[in-house]
Amino acid sequence: MDTTHHSATPTEPAAAPRRWAAIQPWLTLLARLALAGVLAWAAVSKLPPALSVQSVEAYQLFSPGVAEFIGFTLPLLELAFALLLLLGLATRYVGAASGLLMVVFIAGIVSAWARGLDIDCGCFGTGGQVAEGETSYGLDIARDLGFLALAALIAIRPRSPLALDRLFGLYR
Amino acid sequence: MGKAAREASRERLKQERERAKKRAARAKMLGVVGAALAVVLVVVGGGYLFLSQQRAQEQEFADRYEDLPPQTLQQDGSVVLAGKGVEAPAVEVYADFQCPACKQFENASGPTLQQLAAEGEAIVHYRPVSIFAQAEAPLSANSLRGAAAARAAADHDAFVQYNDLLFENQPPEGSEGFAVEDLKQWGEDAGIDDPEFAERVEAESKVVATFTDDYMPRLRSAAQEQLNESEIQEMGLAGLIEWGGDNGVDGSFLQDTYVKEVIDATAAVKDRYSSGANAFGGTPSVYVNGEKMGDAAFSGDGVRDAVQQAEPGEVSTEPLAAGAGADAGASPEPEVSP
Repeated sequence: MDTTHHSATPTEPAAAPRRWAAIQPWLTLLARLALAGVLAWAAVSKLPPALSVQSVEAYQLFSPGVAEFIGFTLPLLELAFALLLLLGLATRYVGAASGLLMVVFIAGIVSAWARGLDIDCGCFGTGGQVAEGETSYGLDIARDLGFLALAALIAIRPRSPLALDRLFGLYR
Repeated sequence: MGKAAREASRERLKQERERAKKRAARAKMLGVVGAALAVVLVVVGGGYLFLSQQRAQEQEFADRYEDLPPQTLQQDGSVVLAGKGVEAPAVEVYADFQCPACKQFENASGPTLQQLAAEGEAIVHYRPVSIFAQAEAPLSANSLRGAAAARAAADHDAFVQYNDLLFENQPPEGSEGFAVEDLKQWGEDAGIDDPEFAERVEAESKVVATFTDDYMPRLRSAAQEQLNESEIQEMGLAGLIEWGGDNGVDGSFLQDTYVKEVIDATAAVKDRYSSGANAFGGTPSVYVNGEKMGDAAFSGDGVRDAVQQAEPGEVSTEPLAAGAGADAGASPEPEVSP
């Protein structure tokens, strides 16, 4: 992947691109912090792990053993991504991985919807069975698409202030 | 050296510098990505180790039934697990044997509750309910069959063992489970050798079948003809059954059954915790001295913390038959009418 595409252009840039160049790092920083907050909250609200396991089982996609493993590790993975986004370490790759995670979540919700399950997505806090007509799949997917957009911005434009990457001379 | 050669060597040097720069950039990138992977590994791996160790600790007391204090059957069919004369916080556990979240709760916190009772740190009050009684079969039938069988096990001082076996073998939501033969077998597994248990399980299971296949559809359609949906909701199942008795839907086959007992217990908890932060909103619900626990109930440590911070409490029910033998507490056999 090309990592040096942002080397300064020698010609005088037009006003709009210049403004974008000035704003973009701050937008990426905001996206990093927002996505980190979302992921950290998602992780913490899933615990203790028994709750998280229950949310995974509600999707009826995995055997009990696999569901338990996912239930234990998913909040931890979210926590790790949140930490990395906060630190700004390997920003582009963590952004891409977070985006991928959102795609997986969206696919899971779509599959639950398509199979006519009545579950809470378990995205934040406790999932599991809900009463018929109390599902909110559309809203959940829209929300995850929003998070996916944040992740995409971070992956495509990783340059941002207050990032460990800068100490290593990356995305300056 | 000719001009052309000089230029060629300069070009070569330039290319080499470019390559070195690229190599350095790639090394830097690899280093950063490696550091990020290390962070993921530490957080996920370390966290997983920590959580599984915690789970292993919570499971330490699982299946140690010989260490349990006495189980005392109460008038409403609930069971108190506590040492004699123990003064400790009262922990009420409301669960439906068919509810997946209750299974998760039991997996995570059940052994700790039993341990707290064994140590005299808590009075554990098991209060089975059936939140699924009005749902479609097999959900409703499983829930009621399980609850009635557990109540029968309580007649033989084996409620706690039977409770664990039911959750262990919980059928997936929407599929037939808790078959009569299994329910009887688990009774043997729980150490019940009295044939009365198996008879009772069979009788109650017939009551459940009549209830879900014949009685409920009639009751529902009668109610829908004469009442509106919010009135039906308002009544609850126990109220609806009473209404049916006055309006031509005979529910007398439920009299003195454990099925009816758990339906009444479910109505009672909705009255007991009807509003505010402690309102009963589903299963599992755990109350420490009447204060509802949040998500912390889903870990043994969370339950232990809550108990340790609470004052000694009171059990709100009375024992069924003080001093009488186990079977003296059993209600008479139900009459099963088709």
